Amino acid sequence: MNAVPYEVMQALQVLVYRSCTTMNEERWSEYLALCDPQAFRYQVLTYSPEIRREQCWADRDFRAMKSAFDLLPRHNSDRSRLTRHVVVQHADYDAATRRARVETQLTIYRTQIDGTMSYIESGQTTLYAIGRYEDEIGLDEDGTARLLARTVRLETRQLDIGSHKPF
Amino acid sequence: MTVTTAPLTFTGRSREEWLRKPALPDSQLVNTGIYTSSAMHEEEMDRIWGKVWLPVCHESELPEPLDFRTTGIGGNKPIVVVRGTDGRIRTFLNICPHRNNLIVRAAAGSLKQAEPSGNPNHMTCMYHGWQFDAQGRCVEIPREKAGYQDRLCKEQLSLMEIRTEVAFGGMVWVNLDDQGRESLTDYLAGSLDAMRDQLETEPLEIFHYQKSIVRCNYKLFFDTSREFYHDFLHFHNRQTSMVKPGYFEQKYTEYPNGHSVTGFTTVDYTSHTGAAKRLLTFPGLPANGWRHTTIFPASAYNIRTSCLRINVMIPLSERETLVEIRGLGLKRDTPEERAQRVRDYNSVWGPFGWNLHEDLLCAQTQTQAIKPGSGATWNLMARVEDNKVHDEVCVRSYYAEWERRMGRRASECLAGAQQA
Repeated sequence: MNAVPYEVMQALQVLVYRSCTTMNEERWSEYLALCDPQAFRYQVLTYSPEIRREQCWADRDFRAMKSAFDLLPRHNSDRSRLTRHVVVQHADYDAATRRARVETQLTIYRTQIDGTMSYIESGQTTLYAIGRYEDEIGLDEDGTARLLARTVRLETRQLDIGSHKPF
Repeated sequence: MTVTTAPLTFTGRSREEWLRKPALPDSQLVNTGIYTSSAMHEEEMDRIWGKVWLPVCHESELPEPLDFRTTGIGGNKPIVVVRGTDGRIRTFLNICPHRNNLIVRAAAGSLKQAEPSGNPNHMTCMYHGWQFDAQGRCVEIPREKAGYQDRLCKEQLSLMEIRTEVAFGGMVWVNLDDQGRESLTDYLAGSLDAMRDQLETEPLEIFHYQKSIVRCNYKLFFDTSREFYHDFLHFHNRQTSMVKPGYFEQKYTEYPNGHSVTGFTTVDYTSHTGAAKRLLTFPGLPANGWRHTTIFPASAYNIRTSCLRINVMIPLSERETLVEIRGLGLKRDTPEERAQRVRDYNSVWGPFGWNLHEDLLCAQTQTQAIKPGSGATWNLMARVEDNKVHDEVCVRSYYAEWERRMGRRASECLAGAQQA
């Protein structure tokens, strides 16, 4: 059993949940405000039984993440909303370094706005992807938690036509 | 009370005008029925997909003796690709000759690991325990003599083998036509020669695999691979390619058997916000170089600086296509080089890349628009610009080959197929 102090656990959970609500509502700048600009690294990893190796589907630092958000309106994206449902399952905390590792189960639903034909599919919600977040989180002196790294480890390997929006 | 009806004063075309065949040569038109007809799809599987060489996987997906890889080819034919103890790669129809059960179920693995009801080194049908070696020979039939006496024996019951070659960057190619005499090299007709240095200088290795069932006819998605007039779809390409001097001078070269090569060019990745300068490349390819070959009926080799992307399409029906997309680097990559290739790859391609998502989205929305009864009838491929990058010659040449093999015009209306 790890003994993560209650206040720390609270801060970690609030950060993880807030990172999802900001993404769900596409408040990208508020999501970025939860990330450490110097340290942040975002990766999407998945194991492929077809090629029998782990593969990386995204690897971005803070700057790349920000430019991806900034460029979203310039691209022709599937505009469906993604809703991330998460449950924080496990945390380890090192009080000496004020760093934590947090594992969170992730489920993503997709609600069609346009679909591929808006008058037929708009409004439909389907299960889109499952996986987990493996987060590295740092706590400031004042107890504020910041995302240092997020690895999205996907179980789902068929993501339909893919997504311009990160998970 | 008198009701008067005002004469129609449409600014758009009337229905009759809309449906009228455009005043263009037949070679510059496609009737959309060829994307929606199930009968046409079945005919394509026989006349095209059953006759040509098709890439199915990369040799690095089965590096060791007794490694295997399962997939499917045109017409939903399940296949298993196996590397024998002699190192040779062979392909078999993945169907047990006894009661037609699928034999190998996993996507990939090693036959060294025994199935629950079979021996190691064999492919075992779990249904009744029939076993086959890596050369397709039937080596075990439980209670063979008791059931078949002298009427049937193992030696008569091997798997169906499919012509296989490993070439052009280590891809495994198969051809269902075992009466055919055309070699893979003859079929490709020099269309990959311009990439020879990149493909043959040293061994390649897969690092990225993505598959997607796309709700479109395979030809519609392949059209987007053939022509670059659709660069307007991609903000990334507008920023990185179209702004480069010489972009509009790039020319297509058409090859026999319906293959097409896009003229060599370089891309300015740094003009896309947030993109890093690309320094890593492939043997013989200048920094930021780009080479691209599309292979009839639906695969493509695409090298952008540090990554080779190979697209393989597996038609599932006239309206669904399994798209498999592989990313490859050099087998001898250092971890740092490989990580860089992965980053480069994912910026444009991959499920989260800028371009692939847009291509797939477009193929699906186009499919919605040409559903039977929708009113869509003609696809135009009439841009003529001296074979330059926005010329639609590469689509015309594709359908010319399609017509040659199908024995009909792509512009013909099809009995029982899509009509507005």
